[in-house]
Amino acid sequence: MSAPATRFDALSEWSDRHFKWLLVAPAVLLILALSVYPLLFSVWVLFVNYDFTVPGHGFVGLRNFTRVLADPVARWSLWVTILLSTINVTIEFLLGLALALAMVKSFRGRGLIMSLLIIPLFISPVIVGQAWALLLQRPFGPTNYVLSQILGFEVTIGWLTQAPWNFIALVLADVWQWTPFMFVILLAGLTAIPPNLYEAAELDGVDGWRAFWWITLPQLGPMIMLAITFRILDAVRLFDTIFVMTGGGPGTNTYSSSFYLYTLGFTQFHLSEATAGAWMFLVITAILITFLVRRLLKAEPT
Amino acid sequence: MAHVTIKGLHKHFGAVHVVKGIDLAIADGEFTVLVGPSGCGKSTLLRTVAGLEQASEGTIEIGGKVVNDTRPRDRDVAMVFQDYALYPHMTVAQNIGFGLRARNFPRPEIETRVKRAAKMLNIDQLLDRLPRQLSGGQRQRVAIGRAIVRNPQIFLFDEPLSNLDAQLRDEMRSEIKRLHQELGATMIYVTHDQIEAMTLADRIVLMNAGQIEQSGTPLELYEKPRTRFVAGFLGSPKINFIKARLENAGIVFADGQTLKLPAVDAQRYAAHAGKPVIFGIRPQHIDRAPMTGSPHIKSTVDLVQPTGARTYVTFTIGGEPVMAELDAHDAGKPGDEIAIALDLAHFLLIAPENGNVLGR
Amino acid sequence: MSLITRANIARTLLLGFFLLFTFVPLYWMFITSIKPSDDYLAVPPVWFPAEPTMLHYTAALFAYRGLDGLINSVIISAAATLLSTVLGTLMAYSLARFNTGGQHLSFWVLSQRFLPPIAIVLPIFLIYRAVGLHDTHFGLIIAYTVFTLPVTVWMMFAYFRQMPKSLEEAALVDGCTRWQSLWRVAIPLAMPGIVAAAVFAFIACWTEFFFALILTSQTAFTLPTVFRAFLGFQGAQYGEASALAMVSLVPSIILGILVQRHLVRGLTLGAVRG
Ligand SMILES: Nc1ncnc2c1ncn2[C@@H]1O[C@H](COP(=O)(O)OP(=O)(O)O)[C@@H](O)[C@H]1O
Ligand SMILES: [Mg+2]
Repeated sequence: MSAPATRFDALSEWSDRHFKWLLVAPAVLLILALSVYPLLFSVWVLFVNYDFTVPGHGFVGLRNFTRVLADPVARWSLWVTILLSTINVTIEFLLGLALALAMVKSFRGRGLIMSLLIIPLFISPVIVGQAWALLLQRPFGPTNYVLSQILGFEVTIGWLTQAPWNFIALVLADVWQWTPFMFVILLAGLTAIPPNLYEAAELDGVDGWRAFWWITLPQLGPMIMLAITFRILDAVRLFDTIFVMTGGGPGTNTYSSSFYLYTLGFTQFHLSEATAGAWMFLVITAILITFLVRRLLKAEPT
Repeated sequence: MAHVTIKGLHKHFGAVHVVKGIDLAIADGEFTVLVGPSGCGKSTLLRTVAGLEQASEGTIEIGGKVVNDTRPRDRDVAMVFQDYALYPHMTVAQNIGFGLRARNFPRPEIETRVKRAAKMLNIDQLLDRLPRQLSGGQRQRVAIGRAIVRNPQIFLFDEPLSNLDAQLRDEMRSEIKRLHQELGATMIYVTHDQIEAMTLADRIVLMNAGQIEQSGTPLELYEKPRTRFVAGFLGSPKINFIKARLENAGIVFADGQTLKLPAVDAQRYAAHAGKPVIFGIRPQHIDRAPMTGSPHIKSTVDLVQPTGARTYVTFTIGGEPVMAELDAHDAGKPGDEIAIALDLAHFLLIAPENGNVLGR
Repeated sequence: MSLITRANIARTLLLGFFLLFTFVPLYWMFITSIKPSDDYLAVPPVWFPAEPTMLHYTAALFAYRGLDGLINSVIISAAATLLSTVLGTLMAYSLARFNTGGQHLSFWVLSQRFLPPIAIVLPIFLIYRAVGLHDTHFGLIIAYTVFTLPVTVWMMFAYFRQMPKSLEEAALVDGCTRWQSLWRVAIPLAMPGIVAAAVFAFIACWTEFFFALILTSQTAFTLPTVFRAFLGFQGAQYGEASALAMVSLVPSIILGILVQRHLVRGLTLGAVRG
């Protein structure tokens, strides 16, 4: 019943033999072209002059690195990144956990509330920043007015222009957008805890807070690790809301690392210095990834 | 239709050695059943014949042609899977005709062939349904229909009946046997169920831990097993194994009772006299004896399990449990003293050190 | 008061507070988008305008080139989604069924997801300028394809892993080539997962800002980058900004809620079934 061998058969046979590699080839080539090749190219940029304000690509040794390292704004922006990521992820975790606990039992309207709570995840961070800017901005936003009414005295906070309020504004926007992320993952984790664990514990006289500490948290452990890891790795990239809300200001007060490198490269056009900074940032992130992902793999979520 | 020859076949999954040197020749039109305990490598062997696994070593020939490097589609085999593997997004007709479409058969020809196959299997009124609208037995028929419609050289079955309930299983078993008689095709059938193996096979290949333990007709394996494993695997209820010694006087059990062997047997096993042996006898070959006369063993009834016509009675010989299949009226009740006659035309003696049946 | 009802009250309060927290910014933005400019600085603030207006919408779409951004966003997000879904599904199939390249290949793809964009966008910017891809649709499309690939690959990897392979094997024995068994059996059966992965890729492209900001300017700019026009002290275009935001967020929210069943898998790259 087999047909006579034709050239098409030979081709079909060849493509079946190399099937698994043919399937991955396009994606791998694209990643090589747009991620690996640029990174390799940037290694060259690290050691030359690549600056729209200074012509030529002469070799400059480690100058690009030393200039970034000497820049106090670079160090400040790293602190801002660490500070904001830590605060953001902590608040998002606690709030997300509380929400997940509140949503784990089924009640009327749960499905609808679920759909409403996850809405922020589908909105561009630029728009989130814009929305919070509108709400907080003087003199347009209603925040100061509402606070004045509640507190009984005139509130005139420059939410986007005055430290530390500008940080609080950034935290608000980030918490608004990403608490649902924690909530969704932790809820999935809570739902997966077998209910008979609680029943057994109840027979042993364990309930309420103690059940939470002794059963819920340990069972949820791997999921918590996963949620926090994923969130941290995104939180350290913080850029969009800063760009929209404070523009890094006042001055360089709310520069995050990404924002600092962006201004260095694209408003001051010191591209090779920005590349050097980006590589240092990449190395810090890589260390963080290795550390976090290794712990994550050890915890091994289901 | 074609014969299959497997030579020196090995299969490794990484560090796991699953198939350990199989040599097997299957004649054209033969119904071969691969049987053995779960995990012994039956499916792996079958899938290697189908081309779904690559042989690590050795060759597979179909119709005299080595097919190691041939794709499944070019081997002209059909396979029925344990979970049926029906395409859930296609109707019964599309499922059955899928192989023909993949081979670019003309539409009218596909239609007539699908109809013919469906009629053969009594599913012609189900052709427009989706698999999820079918019962287990109907799904099984569709899976078989998908195989026969292509008229392949070789049929492969991987435990096709194990997901069916007992009654359907019996029915489908006869159906498969009838199909083999009608088509006369070469069939290789994998199962872990010895009853399926006994009823279906022209030839049984009994596997254990990646190797062939023994192959032959069902009756050969049942009556002349070469190893303790084969004797223990086939037959229901299981054959009894009793530790004993072979002496010149006969078989001596642990409690000192002696079973005198007929002269021919005594002579046959003379070389092993004085050694420990395992005495094997099937429950069907044990009977009540009159308390006097012909050679017998004494014991006390432990357990009585009636099943209707026959009753399973358990007692001990030399401290070891032994089951007999007795006539319901002979069974007695727990605690009864009984005399047992062992049918000495049908016993086995096994060397305990290697499990080989003596005298073969 | 019993423990049960106290817990109930706490839950209601928490959910109520958080829903309020979620909707106040969205509400204020919506109101701003239909509020006449004269009401901007009123004290007390105007919570609902007496005379709603659509003026900001037309201004945002036409005067501020919001419509161009919208069209670009549709083209670029759709094309990148298509590419990413096709390439990602093929790769995921290979990884799931043949363990291609062992763990290294799959983790290498995953690691791409966690590269800081700033590290990668600088050299891409330089290369794009050199080869003329800067500010082109094609340039942003392939950048977005690569940027969404890890998520698509890992989501589909998890999806294929939980599909039985016997159907594809049956197809192979039935006479299909590998490609046919993929195309006629595996892909149709994986369709729900593929659609979900595509929607997540689309939302990711639709809401992306950083790459678009750097790799485009006057031609291939996407919707989120139009907001640059409303920043700083260039006057108070609150209404226009809000109108544009509404135009952008409505489609992605609708899409997101449609695939919410797959959300956990999407957020965790398939690590958690949900
Ligand atoms: N793809 C595989 N990778 C690793 N081990 C496998 C694979 N397939 C089967 N095995 C192992 O090979 C052994 C034999 O499997 P199989 O052929 O399915 O046994 P059987 O069908 O006789 O029950 C089992 O121990 C099984 O775990
Ligand atoms: Mg098997």
